Amino acid sequence: MAAMLKCVMSGSQVKVFGKAVQALSRISDEFWLDPSKKGLALRCVNSSRSAYGCVLFSPVFFQHYQWSALVKMSENELDTTLHLKCKLGMKSILPIFRCLNSLERNIEKCRIFTRSDKCKVVIQFFYRHGIKRTHNICFQESQPLQVIFDKNVCTNTLMIQPRLLADAIVLFTSSQEEVTLAVTPLNFCLKSSNEESMDLSNAVHSEMFVGSDEFDFFQIGMDTEITFCFKELKGILTFSEATHAPISIYFDFPGKPLALSIDDMLVEANFILATLADEQSRASSPQSLCLSQKRKRSDLIEKKAGKNVTGQALECISKKAAPRRLYPKETLTNISALENCGSPAMKRVDGDVSEVSESSVSNTEEVPGSLCLRKFSCMFFGAVSSDQQEHFNHPFDSLARASDSEEDMNNVCCRKEFNGSDAKYFCII
Amino acid sequence: MKFRAKIVDGACLNHFTRISNMIAKLAKTCTLRISPDKLNFILCDKLANGGVSMWCELEQENFFNEFQMEGVSAENNEIYLELTSENLSRALKTAQNARALKIKLTNKHFPCLTVSVELLSMSSSSRIVTHDIPIKVIPRKLWKDLQEPVVPDPDVSIYLPVLKTMKSVVEKMKNISNHLVIEANLDGELNLKIETELVCVTTHFKDLGNPPLDVVFKCIPIILASESTHEDRNVEHMAEVHIDIRKLLQFLAGQQVNPTKALCNIVNNKMVHFDLLHEDVSLQYFIPALS
Repeated sequence: MAAMLKCVMSGSQVKVFGKAVQALSRISDEFWLDPSKKGLALRCVNSSRSAYGCVLFSPVFFQHYQWSALVKMSENELDTTLHLKCKLGMKSILPIFRCLNSLERNIEKCRIFTRSDKCKVVIQFFYRHGIKRTHNICFQESQPLQVIFDKNVCTNTLMIQPRLLADAIVLFTSSQEEVTLAVTPLNFCLKSSNEESMDLSNAVHSEMFVGSDEFDFFQIGMDTEITFCFKELKGILTFSEATHAPISIYFDFPGKPLALSIDDMLVEANFILATLADEQSRASSPQSLCLSQKRKRSDLIEKKAGKNVTGQALECISKKAAPRRLYPKETLTNISALENCGSPAMKRVDGDVSEVSESSVSNTEEVPGSLCLRKFSCMFFGAVSSDQQEHFNHPFDSLARASDSEEDMNNVCCRKEFNGSDAKYFCII
Repeated sequence: MKFRAKIVDGACLNHFTRISNMIAKLAKTCTLRISPDKLNFILCDKLANGGVSMWCELEQENFFNEFQMEGVSAENNEIYLELTSENLSRALKTAQNARALKIKLTNKHFPCLTVSVELLSMSSSSRIVTHDIPIKVIPRKLWKDLQEPVVPDPDVSIYLPVLKTMKSVVEKMKNISNHLVIEANLDGELNLKIETELVCVTTHFKDLGNPPLDVVFKCIPIILASESTHEDRNVEHMAEVHIDIRKLLQFLAGQQVNPTKALCNIVNNKMVHFDLLHEDVSLQYFIPALS
């Protein structure tokens, strides 16, 4: 029995599903279908690894939900579970889920299932009068990525009605790249972030102040101003049109990622966005993940070179399950692409217990003539495994803790099975 | 130099927003002239605009319940600012259900026109939206190019047909040729013509009516001698101008609402002058003949 997925939805469920796909398309051109016992997760990450989206449909969302993973027994009694590794292109999927309103009205049932033998996902729409529309889409075998982010320990939490966010978004033009969220315990302000375009004489600077009583929940631990990508904010708004649940925003200091969530019992959407680190909040502690804008490339390289990666400033997700290979090819393309962007060197220590790929990612569109690379804070990804129930309870200056050598010892046997290739961890700084 | 104004009336705000939208469609960049009684949106006939010029005037007391300005100097109590029209119209668009709108001249890193809106919201606290629109202050020495254009003595003056109809006709014609002939006579007839090697298309508008001379020349005293000259002329004689169709289309596209008054003055082979009134805001638009 291979890893597979099979689910059935009604017309209105398809609309929500389609909205989720549209929302994720704001982040990336590809996404993973990741079924598990928690439900079907659609996951994606953007090319610069500064934004991550995940929409999890619980099993009860569907009319019918069935999934399975392949379990490989091994002599050491350490079974390995191979989940469905399915990556789809937005270009193939978006046209299928177009005209959601008419789909909602006209279809009786939608069936999605995978055919692992042919690496295909089949999407079928059943209309009245026996009409059936079938789409066969090839998928790429690819291990899904997952971000570990503990929302509950964030200093600042807001809950807003989507209407408020929609009203704020119209203030800005579509050419606006970044927006800044500034909060104090009493009020909230969303404004355009024109730091680099101060020289451009044509940019309108807009701000909206909203009183705290307009929020369903307003808990601000400290005055904060964070800056993040505007386009990705619009993504979650697209999805909020499908549900009527409020949007929760979790964030901390600049440089630490921001999470936007919608949770309406049946569907849970999480968008984790990197935020711009500023110099003040730069790490003095080795645990911190933020790098200042002005740090020179040479400094970064020197710092990383020759150091044992484990337990150092860069931290990795420890893995209890067998490590997986994550996109070896993709890592390389990413590295080369990033190096072309002029980012500081990627450091990969081959064959180590925990490999770390480090990249400094410049902002998606560098302002011409800008000398500083704008860097977004780090996010960590790990391979998705069946034992992904790990719950990190860390003090909140890091997303994940360092890998302990003892734990990795347990995995030595499994690693050997995979030719010593270990899970690769991506950090975005 | 100071400028500070406030609108609290919803209808005035909507009207001001509509005017700003219209300006944004007519001119990408324009000059805003602020004087104690009026606001003007000006486009002067530079080559960059293709020779097109625009003069839009509104009485400030029809819109603002608070209006304070201090010009460059006591003798020159005016302010001339250059701005991107769309920035203003977009800022005003966010003020749909505003309790109050304030506009003022500020200097935040660079000179700006700050539009500040107090929005009604469900809760007790209002939302405050602010837009800082970057502007350029136009120096005194350039003011002479930005004065009200002289309305030339037209050969024919005629009321325009419904602008929406005119626009749909011109839109279709644009696909055939860029060169349009607009002609009219004193018998209430207006024609739009295009001609190519293969085809010639003319749209005829009849019974439009011609305004009396005092409407055409507004406050300028009419010399009786010239009046008689007009009567002698054959009323059916057409005055015509060859213009770039895209300029006419841009003008028509800017008119979202049907104006209170719309007339067109043609100076034979020289230019066409459109004179519109949107409630209490006057708009004049000049399109030169193709050379």
